[in-house]
Amino acid sequence: MDQKRSNVTICNDFLLLRTLKTIPPGPLVILLIAVLSSATIAFWPSEEREGLVFWTFAQHHARMYHPAIQDWNERAATSDAEPIQMFVLSMGALNRRTQSGMWAQTATSDLVEIEQPSVARFMAGPVEEVGFYDLTDLLRDEGIYNQLNEPSFAPWTSRGRIFGLPHDVHPVLLCYRADLVEEAGIDVSKIKTWDDFEEAMRPLVNNTDGDGETDRYALGLWYTSARDVEALLLQAGGGTFNAQGESIIASDANTHVIARMVRWCVGPNRIAIDAPEFSPSGNELKLRGSVVAALMPDWLAGVWMNDLSALKGKLKLMPLPAWEEGGRRTSVMGGTMIAIPKTTRDFDSAWAFAKELYLSPVLAQKLFESNHIISPKVGLWGEPYYAVKEPYFSDQQSGMMYIDQAPNVPFRTSSPFHQVAMQQIMDAASALKAYAEANDAYEIETLMPEAKRLLESAEQRIEQEMSRNVFIAGDTMGGADDE
Amino acid sequence: MSAPNAASTKRFDLNMLIVYLLLVVFATITLVPFVYLLFSAFKSTESFFSFVFWPTQGAWYDVDWQGFTLDNWRTLFFEAGIVRATVNSFFISSVTAILATLFSAMGGYALAKYRFRGRGLTTLVVLGSLAIPFALLIAPGYQLLYWLGLLDTYTGLILPGVAPAFGVYLFRQAFISSLPDALIEAARIDGCGDIRIFFQIALPMVRPMIGAFLLITYLATWNNFISPQIVIQSADKLPLSVFVAQLRGPYSTSYGMIMAGTLVAITPVLVLFLLLQRDFIAGLTAGAVKG
Repeated sequence: MDQKRSNVTICNDFLLLRTLKTIPPGPLVILLIAVLSSATIAFWPSEEREGLVFWTFAQHHARMYHPAIQDWNERAATSDAEPIQMFVLSMGALNRRTQSGMWAQTATSDLVEIEQPSVARFMAGPVEEVGFYDLTDLLRDEGIYNQLNEPSFAPWTSRGRIFGLPHDVHPVLLCYRADLVEEAGIDVSKIKTWDDFEEAMRPLVNNTDGDGETDRYALGLWYTSARDVEALLLQAGGGTFNAQGESIIASDANTHVIARMVRWCVGPNRIAIDAPEFSPSGNELKLRGSVVAALMPDWLAGVWMNDLSALKGKLKLMPLPAWEEGGRRTSVMGGTMIAIPKTTRDFDSAWAFAKELYLSPVLAQKLFESNHIISPKVGLWGEPYYAVKEPYFSDQQSGMMYIDQAPNVPFRTSSPFHQVAMQQIMDAASALKAYAEANDAYEIETLMPEAKRLLESAEQRIEQEMSRNVFIAGDTMGGADDE
Repeated sequence: MSAPNAASTKRFDLNMLIVYLLLVVFATITLVPFVYLLFSAFKSTESFFSFVFWPTQGAWYDVDWQGFTLDNWRTLFFEAGIVRATVNSFFISSVTAILATLFSAMGGYALAKYRFRGRGLTTLVVLGSLAIPFALLIAPGYQLLYWLGLLDTYTGLILPGVAPAFGVYLFRQAFISSLPDALIEAARIDGCGDIRIFFQIALPMVRPMIGAFLLITYLATWNNFISPQIVIQSADKLPLSVFVAQLRGPYSTSYGMIMAGTLVAITPVLVLFLLLQRDFIAGLTAGAVKG
């Protein structure tokens, strides 16, 4: 009896075992996973971190930078410079983390790459409170400003101060199906304006499979695509804010562009089709020839070469048709900068590395050869690799074609209200499309008054919103250098 | 007497047939994205963009086997490092789920069964904190982890989730409804200490809730996307949710690899859920029929 009591006591004393007995099998499985994964993590140590932290958002950037960082770190081992540790973060993570760090005034990275659509969020406060180092004076004193393509600084400039080193230019050309266009006997050299384009390409808008429905369109763009709309607005001299930070939402240029875009997309004179990038449906439309032409920034050329390799040799590039005779033949789409957060542990090392990385001729060549992106460093534009005939674009010197247009890319704002202003313009375009369909009015002249009214209303809403921002009230939110 | 029964059975069967047919249709629709995912994980980039499901050479049954590839998987496992991300996900999810369940149960038990000064206020704070949107906690949470030196550590990711207000309140309600005070008093008279009462008497009374809460927390942590993005910086500490998202680049994206990564990311939780669904449902329905 005593022995039995003793056993029971011992058993009772094993609290853990008794507790385990009460756990259902499901939770026990999770417990087992916890034990096994903990053991694995314990015996699989993480890499040690040292030096400056560099965040980028693109895997292919990281792959390109890796040798340069390795080289830097080898030299850093025998000098005062800090070694660099590069991390690839998703765009959302990079933006959230950088912004959280700036709000909390805590260290984030020592160097960070920011993409153009994200930059406005970092410029929202007073200019002296922007979380990145102001590089304006350094860029001028060291002569870097004059080495780089001037328009490339615009997205990273707020109230005359420059907060980043530009990675690219991203001029936009028009890419067209040379096989279809030449078969139809169309001479693209005669296309100077969008009017010419419409007239020349209209014969190609037809039904090719005999089912009675149009299945080939002259342009692959849509009035709901902010990227396309913005590129065309900028090309026309419109956009959201001018160099002084004033709203130009209701400008004549914008009015004309959205009226014409609506005409392209709906009605009897429709010439455009929605063939979005990075989507199976959009790519299928391009592969089967439903899209004759599309806006093509240099980076998108790299994407098409990778994702739409079947079009190799069937495409050609040409400057964008202008909005008026003698007008701008290019636009701009996307972009990246490298910036140095104010919380960096060693500004001198970070700045030295940023310059070495972004101004490197080796990287410029890699950037072009792997992604078809041209460097903003003007002195490199004569390099032979840009002049190579590109088989994908029917042996055209595509690099040189982009470089020819690079100095002409339009100004871009870094206003924190840019995104919301663009959204208002997109809403106006949608409303105009509904108006056109409701009134059976598809000609530009008949759409213009309504387009103007919609844009003026949008402009008023934006100006109201801007006036409520106490941090920047009375401040000029433009991107251009006032000097 | 038998004729009406037969008719009723027949009508019943017909009804059931319609119900089952509808269920099969809806189940098939539900499975379509998974089938798409499965095929896409084995397709080359060109096939991915050209065909919705399997690559063909014309007719839908004329499969183009050249359009399939194992490259996505090879890259995923041998270059991209998904194995480490999978282990990280298992580790972070299981440890968070276990600790969150344990501490939520402890907190809930204390609020339900102990009388102490400020109990009402504490309960109110717990309840009130449920109303704070997560987005509001990003910046202060980041600052706190920075001060504690926990950025880019597993601890920084696990610690904020070990005592969720939702869990504490859930267990408080479970203890109030399932654990009579008399039972605790009897145990105390028999000489049980507080810890033993909690583990040997209180916890077994809320067994179904433990299973359900563990699984809910496990799944929520497994799918957590924002917190790891903010806290973790090193690639070798990222969980699968962020790892898969990172496979998408702004200028180039390997969709086949993303699909393969997604398949790897959902399979373990799918298997786990299928294995543990009885516990999960038991926990959700616990108390549902009590008066």
